[in-house]
Amino acid sequence: MSDVRRSLALVWRTLRSMRTALVLLLLLAVAAIAGSLIPQAMNSPARVEAMFRDHPALARFYNAAGLFDVYGSWWFTFIYTLLLISLAACLLPRSRALVRNVRARPVAARELDGFRHYAERTIPADPERVITGARRVLRRRLFRVEAANGRAPGLAADKGLAREAGSLLFHWSFFLILIGIVWGKGTGFTGFAVIAEGETWTEAHANYDGNIREGRFFNEDHSGVQIRVDDFQVTYGPNLVPKDFVTRGELLDPRGNPVRRVDIRVNHPAEEGGVKFYQSGFGWAPVIEVRDGGDVLYRGPVPFAEDPPPKGVGQLQLPWHGVVRLPTLDPQAGIQFELWPDSRALLMLQSTGVAPPMPYAFAPVMRYTVYRGNLDASPVRSSTRLDTTLLHTEASGIVGAATTVDVASGRIVEPGPSGAIDYPKGLSITFPELRRYTVLEVARDRGLWIELLAAILILLGLLPALYTSRRKVWVTAEPDGGAGTVLKVGGFALQRKTQFEEEFDRLVNELAGASSGRAEGS
Amino acid sequence: MTSAQWARLSQDLFNAAMAAYIAAMVGYFHYLVFRKRPAWIAARGLAVVGVGAHTASVVSRGIAAGRVPWGNMYEYSSLLALLVVAGYLVIVEGRYKVRTLGGFVLAFSVLTMGIAAVRLRVPPGPLVPALNSYWIKIHVVAAIVGSSLFALGGGVLTILYLVQDARERREAATLAAQAPPPIMGGASIDTDPDAPPHFEAGGDDPAAGTTPVPRALLPPAAVLDRMAYRTIAFAFPIWTFAVIAGAIWAENAWGRYWGWDPKETWSFITWVIYAGYLHARSTAGWKGRKAAVLALVGFASLLVTYYAVNLFIVGLHSYAGVP
Repeated sequence: MSDVRRSLALVWRTLRSMRTALVLLLLLAVAAIAGSLIPQAMNSPARVEAMFRDHPALARFYNAAGLFDVYGSWWFTFIYTLLLISLAACLLPRSRALVRNVRARPVAARELDGFRHYAERTIPADPERVITGARRVLRRRLFRVEAANGRAPGLAADKGLAREAGSLLFHWSFFLILIGIVWGKGTGFTGFAVIAEGETWTEAHANYDGNIREGRFFNEDHSGVQIRVDDFQVTYGPNLVPKDFVTRGELLDPRGNPVRRVDIRVNHPAEEGGVKFYQSGFGWAPVIEVRDGGDVLYRGPVPFAEDPPPKGVGQLQLPWHGVVRLPTLDPQAGIQFELWPDSRALLMLQSTGVAPPMPYAFAPVMRYTVYRGNLDASPVRSSTRLDTTLLHTEASGIVGAATTVDVASGRIVEPGPSGAIDYPKGLSITFPELRRYTVLEVARDRGLWIELLAAILILLGLLPALYTSRRKVWVTAEPDGGAGTVLKVGGFALQRKTQFEEEFDRLVNELAGASSGRAEGS
Repeated sequence: MTSAQWARLSQDLFNAAMAAYIAAMVGYFHYLVFRKRPAWIAARGLAVVGVGAHTASVVSRGIAAGRVPWGNMYEYSSLLALLVVAGYLVIVEGRYKVRTLGGFVLAFSVLTMGIAAVRLRVPPGPLVPALNSYWIKIHVVAAIVGSSLFALGGGVLTILYLVQDARERREAATLAAQAPPPIMGGASIDTDPDAPPHFEAGGDDPAAGTTPVPRALLPPAAVLDRMAYRTIAFAFPIWTFAVIAGAIWAENAWGRYWGWDPKETWSFITWVIYAGYLHARSTAGWKGRKAAVLALVGFASLLVTYYAVNLFIVGLHSYAGVP
């Protein structure tokens, strides 16, 4: 029993030591480095996938060791938990000691000339006056002063408790950060909404298409706030870097009543119902209609995606791709589209082999390929790319904006004399217009104010912890036998000891000058 | 003047500043070795002229771009180099009255500017949307001031401390090996931070020593250590503030205050290492050289945070603007 207690005491002592905390702190840094060198599933899922493809054995090892999710791994959690325990073990006794120190008044010292800093002055004034003057000087210098009368009248003074208080505030605030994270992330969520121009999107779990991470204590209380996107605009700078992009629209309450119009930009999120909308990304969403004879099988804007560009090719030089699935047909059909927002780029590619960048739309065209077969046979679930291995090609062709193409013949269906289109038998594809879509990040974090508070406290604590110093000063005033007084000053510095030498000299001058009416030393 | 003319002017001033720094660096090293006062006066004058030209270069760059002049890596490097020199002149020469270290500091700045000129220079242009926020004034200024102070304290001064400390230890060992041991004189390390070249630890009377003691070029190790510590302790809250401001900005721009983006991760690592340094200085067994090594590791981490993360690691902070 006592063995157990002894080893527990040892563990506790070890945890409490600064050395342990220091080692844990550096261990945390090393662990964080691992996370910055190995791709993290959270930040770059594509690179993690690439690892699994190119180095499967290594990737499996990384995965097992939690190296693809370092900051959520058990060992990272273990390190900072230990660090926080060690911190608490260190802070608790220090906090108690601070409270004791604050309550306790400065204590008299016996022999002043034993201190590292010591000075003696003879002053032509009586001891009472010297003490009164000294008390005033020390108070003005923010010392706590206490009468300490031994053989002679004297004072004991100290200052700099703010150093310890600041240090403790700084360190305790990290627990507040942890509370903020657990509460904020636990009860909140982060997701991405893909919304084409003209569409209204409701903040609800199903509408994220799986692109949402909800906290552990989140109880599905989505806000139901709606946003209607009227317009998305992007402007490019001279070297085709996006200069500005903005989602213009209107926020609506859960019942659909307008709340206010918003322009959402990077750095300018919109907030409603406790949920924030951030500008995150954008792309092309051609409106596509697919008909079988006269029956509409599909109609609506389809968000397209782009591939990462190969080396030496700009992102804007690449076409976009998307899919329309027609699962109700028998056999099922899927259409893979390739969008060229600027058809001149496609012509240039065919004539020169190089496509120029396509920042803006100009007479857009889509190449399409219609596949038939069982769409559910493939395990790949991509919304922009068909897995065609088990499908067979039925037809392919090209469709321009504001036209309809007969899939069987590949020809454009001209409108009749009345302007109405007589849709052909079989499949036809219509491309009424090209729209943009916006990607908004949608997040709720109720811990934000806790984090902000903690950050402020960290800074507030850090300044006195680093820049104030603890000092103790003792003063006695003995009659020198005549009309004068021998002033004795002893001083003790716990930090910045070399700096205290000058400080002490100045202080002694001031103490000596306070009662003799002389100008105080500077 | 047109934007192109301002850009041209900025570049000319940048080159002029760099030339002045190089000349000042030579002057400072000359003073370090030979202790001729005119060399120091000339070097200091050149450094001040360089700072003037450099400041004008940064300002005209801002006018050329029509925004704050720290929107890409070239501009950031230029401003960092400027702040390191200015910080040296104000803190080391102004406050600590140490004149011998200018060459090392200028060497750092010249190197930083050289890399910027050769590797990172881009024409002035508008900010990418993610940077277009008033937070660029708060977060980036804090980061750049913190970095320059870390470079000064954790980089230059710490390296010099380690060099001088090793030297003093060697000397102490030599002295200890001699019999009888000489009486250590009252040469307090605090009294003369800018010791003359024939300053000898423990040897007040040069004639007494039979073996010639090598001349001490640098200030005593204890002085260097204290300067390095003070500079880092000054930089640490600024860096803390930079990280916090960055988190607030990230919340505003990306919808989360912390996402372990490489830049966030490395600025955190740098913060952790310097926090470790500050603690190590008051921990038995870690004081002195071990703590200094930590400060040096922190400096290395700062360089990674700045160069490697911007240029080689893909993340949200890839703002280098380097094609």
